[in-house]
Amino acid sequence: MTSRLKKRLDNLGVDPSSAKLTENFCLIGTPLPSLEKSKDSGEFVPVWKQEVRDEQGRRRLHGAFTGGFSAGYYNTVGSKEGWTPSTFISSRTSRAAKGQKGSRPEDYMDDEDLAELRDSQKMIDTTEEMDVLGGTGAEMRRRADGMSLEKDSVASALESLIPTVRDSVGARLLQKMGWRLGSGIGPRVTYTKRKLQDQLYSGSSTSAPPDDEEDAEAGKHLYAPRDTKVILAKPKDNSFGLGYEAGQGLRGAGESSRENAKKGPNISAGFGLGALNDADMDDLDVYDGGLDQGESRRLAYDAGDDDEERIVLGATQARDKSARYPPSTAAAHFFHDGRPVLAGFALSDKPVMEDKWFALPEIPKGWKPNPQSVWAQGQENLEQAKKMPPPPPPRSGPDKWKAGAITADERGAMLGEAKAPAPPRSVFDYLSEKDRERLQNIKAGVSVTEKVEQPTPIEPPQEIIVPTVEPRTAQAALQGFQPFTTDPPKQARYTAYLKSQASSSAPPLAQKPGQSVDEFNKELSDFAKSAMIFKPISGAMANRFTSASIIESGPKAQEGLYKPAPGSYLTTPDETEKEEEKVDESPKAHAARAGMFGPLTRETQDWFPMRLLCKRFGVKDPHPDGPPAPSGGSSSQAPQWDPQSAFSSMPTQSHESAPRTAAIEDTPRPGSASAPSGKKDLANIGLGEDESQGKDTLTYERPTMDIFKAIFASDEEDSDDEEEMPVEVQGQTPYRQPSVPSAPTAPPPIASEVIPRAPSPPLDETPPDPATFRPTFVPRAEREGKRKGKDKESDKKEKKGKSKKMKTVLVSFGDDEMADDLKPKKPKKRSRAADGETERETDKSKKKRPKEDAPEDDEEDMWVEKPPPTIAQPSGSSDQTTLAKGRMRASDFL
Amino acid sequence: MAQASVKLSSAAHVPRSLHLSLASHAGPVHVVRYAKQSAKHILTGGQDRTIRLWNPETGAEIKSYTGHGYEVLSLCIAPDNARFASSGGDRNVFLWDVATGQTIRRFTGHMGRINAVEFNGDASVLASGSFDATIRLWDLRAQSRAPIQTLDQAKDSISTLHIGSTEIISGSVDGHIRTYDLRKGELRSDFLGHPVTSILPTFDSTTLLASTLDSHLRLMDCVTGQALNTFSGHLNMSYRTRACFAHGEAAVICGDEEGRVWAWDLVNGTSLGADKPPKVHEKVITWTEHHPLHAGEMVTASADGTVKVWKTPPGDKV
Repeated sequence: MTSRLKKRLDNLGVDPSSAKLTENFCLIGTPLPSLEKSKDSGEFVPVWKQEVRDEQGRRRLHGAFTGGFSAGYYNTVGSKEGWTPSTFISSRTSRAAKGQKGSRPEDYMDDEDLAELRDSQKMIDTTEEMDVLGGTGAEMRRRADGMSLEKDSVASALESLIPTVRDSVGARLLQKMGWRLGSGIGPRVTYTKRKLQDQLYSGSSTSAPPDDEEDAEAGKHLYAPRDTKVILAKPKDNSFGLGYEAGQGLRGAGESSRENAKKGPNISAGFGLGALNDADMDDLDVYDGGLDQGESRRLAYDAGDDDEERIVLGATQARDKSARYPPSTAAAHFFHDGRPVLAGFALSDKPVMEDKWFALPEIPKGWKPNPQSVWAQGQENLEQAKKMPPPPPPRSGPDKWKAGAITADERGAMLGEAKAPAPPRSVFDYLSEKDRERLQNIKAGVSVTEKVEQPTPIEPPQEIIVPTVEPRTAQAALQGFQPFTTDPPKQARYTAYLKSQASSSAPPLAQKPGQSVDEFNKELSDFAKSAMIFKPISGAMANRFTSASIIESGPKAQEGLYKPAPGSYLTTPDETEKEEEKVDESPKAHAARAGMFGPLTRETQDWFPMRLLCKRFGVKDPHPDGPPAPSGGSSSQAPQWDPQSAFSSMPTQSHESAPRTAAIEDTPRPGSASAPSGKKDLANIGLGEDESQGKDTLTYERPTMDIFKAIFASDEEDSDDEEEMPVEVQGQTPYRQPSVPSAPTAPPPIASEVIPRAPSPPLDETPPDPATFRPTFVPRAEREGKRKGKDKESDKKEKKGKSKKMKTVLVSFGDDEMADDLKPKKPKKRSRAADGETERETDKSKKKRPKEDAPEDDEEDMWVEKPPPTIAQPSGSSDQTTLAKGRMRASDFL
Repeated sequence: MAQASVKLSSAAHVPRSLHLSLASHAGPVHVVRYAKQSAKHILTGGQDRTIRLWNPETGAEIKSYTGHGYEVLSLCIAPDNARFASSGGDRNVFLWDVATGQTIRRFTGHMGRINAVEFNGDASVLASGSFDATIRLWDLRAQSRAPIQTLDQAKDSISTLHIGSTEIISGSVDGHIRTYDLRKGELRSDFLGHPVTSILPTFDSTTLLASTLDSHLRLMDCVTGQALNTFSGHLNMSYRTRACFAHGEAAVICGDEEGRVWAWDLVNGTSLGADKPPKVHEKVITWTEHHPLHAGEMVTASADGTVKVWKTPPGDKV
């Protein structure tokens, strides 16, 4: 500002220091942003020194030397526990609030996700520069700056009410380039050009005559071009289809589009079209047509094309006329068939849709449909085809299907290519011709014999030559092998031929109708050869072989239509199967079908209710002797291993009072119907098929002692026995009876345990009667061996020993020492008695007991032993009490 | 003359006049049972998965037991009327408390839908017969979850059950009536040749009324397995239709698949009443049950969703 100006201003009374006065209106260039305001602090830091930090200032990216994996969760979840998404819990009792019900995806996002989401939701990148309305922070700041200036509060308040209009960046740039509002963009134009533009935009072709004087002046200047008119697209406010124009009929639409089509298709803008490409349907711009003024409209599809192809046949002539020519106004009130039009309606003079009508071709008079001519045409074609040079010989094998086409090899040869290496040859290529033929025959299901026997072609004789076969040979061949069993007609002819050869009386084989002479000859020679081949010896041998028809493994297809044998309708295979089923039907089902309910339809088997079930029903367990089969407490019908029944079928000594032999005979248990004879149980397991195997040894009854005695015993012994027997008989009863009350010290608990097996209280302590006791020499080794053998058999001996031990503990007798020597005899006897032997048996055998018992023990050597010392009892009757006390017999416990 | 009088009297025993129609089941009713003791109420179970308790006198629906997830196929009421058991398509046997309407226990173990449940005499054992061809006997006294015993002799679905004092009788689709005799510890299988859909022993347990899917009812002798009498005429080829005895076992009553209620004289096997009884239900009659005490009262359940209570007209009282 110059000093002169200052002076003048002073004179005018204006404060030269006022900011308004010093305002600079010239703006040259774009000012640089002020340094201190710049937010880019890393602006001048070299890239390698820059650090990336997140919005909270944390360093998130680490190199291998500045953290590496120690970055840990800071780069991922942000805390030690990890990021916990919010949860949604709603139970029947405590319902989640309805608002919370649908959890938003944001609930499960962390900070970064949310930030990303926010970013993505910002559709427009609003920078302060682009902000037209001035809602951004920059605008606020600007306003605040304005406030700081000396401005009265009223003015600023008013200013805040009016949004300051700021031009966009583009507008400002244009303004800087000289553009002003209202003028067009672009280089300046001359006056005349501008006039032209005016005409163009106004649309009026009649331009006003230019005044020259104005022109002279105006021509000296350049003008800004006229602003381009904003194209106002009319919003679509109706519900018609694209390109629809009201008031135009369908026909009109079609025609107009046809006009368009003549002008050439409008290519859609999206994709370019190659120079050589024709405009295809896909390339046409289907949405084109709204903006171009010249053409009224275009359709998305060309209805006109469709119309041209539509052909309607068979409409009546009258209808056609009425459709094509609108009726006169006089006739407008009637339809073409004379019916009046409804009141209030008028017939349209323009048809809505016009069908293309093609008249039928004129049928020449006298024409009759003759399909034969068409067929004849086909025949002609065939004939022509025949005249054509014959096609290349059909390829054999797998190439056959593409007969007529050129193979790759041929094509290669035509093109002069090098021949490809031949494919590996198949096995068949190495076979001889004959073998191959045979294989083919086999494949075709023809018996080999038949074909192979065909003779090599000889020159065909024209006369019938009947080869002769010796009658004997023919006779034999007739009875022998029949070679043509697979071909019954041939076989019949063969048989006829042989018969004619065998006996002169039989008629000779006649030629088949339609059979040529040489065929017949060939057949005859075949037959002759066959007869020679299957001559007597081979005929005899043929019995040993089955016929060759076995070769045909699969079902043979019969030629022609399937003709079921007469009567086979009645018994179709299904029915025969059914009949078989009926045969297979169990007698039970048969009885049920016949209504014969009762024993035939009833099956009874054992069933083992669980004990608890019996208890609940208040019923005694029907099978108390053992738990039912362990298979879930259910007995099954299938014959299976059933330990319970097996056990019950065993001769149990505790319950069955029957003699052992009887028990064993009972083993198969005829009473139980359900148990099949083959049922496996303990009694017969391991016996194989023969159930009675080994039975004789089990049921073997020893001959009476008399026989043994008669043979072996001396007279003295005999007398001894006779003496002893009555003694024994007497002693038997008292010797038992007192034992029951007088055995308190005997071990009943043991006895109860031991019941099934005989407890064998040793009798050793009873002093042998010195009168009858005769010491016998038994070698020590033998005795020891016996004892050892007994030791081996487990429980018997054990129990014996147990009871013995008890004895020694509870009841002590002075002469225990003698036990050892005498034990082998007495225990045996007791065990025998306890072994389920009944009173009856013992009674029966009482007389011979001493002798009989001893030999019955298998392990004992009966011949060595002396008669047991029990015999001595009666004589020393005072011993009875001690006897009773000391000896507990199994029968006592029973 | 004597026969005629018999006919008349037994005909009079079959209640034929409709007293009530209970139609609140939505869907077929599979089972209707009278309560025990004085039998003042009936329980019905249907395809709509509910069990309903009714007063057959007034037609009032007293209670509805919901809990089944599938159709209810069978019901059995305990002798003390305090509990009942139900079963159906959900392969569980439900034991309900009548008063509270809650399930006391549920027995799980069957592999298929359960067609029949039955209590024993003192409701200590519950038997259930299922499509899986097994009968399971559940202990109601103990809390064990496993059945006391599983009877798996049947080859096909068990369709009906009865528990006597000492035997368990089952009818199966394999055409057998199996009598598990607890006392003898034996199983007697009687083959009928057609799927057995219902069995009902007479009061003396010597004979058994069995209906099979060949449109026949047979009175079987329990001891010998013979058919003492055969009742036919109705149509029963594919649905389970439970037959019952009329009062005093004078007649046999059975519904058929056309909705007719048939009745036959027990002794001579002749159809009582008209040649063809009137059609009283729209669809197959699934269950008929006579009142255990009163002479002239009977209920029928049908697949048309109704349960009908029949009575003899008051004038006809015997």
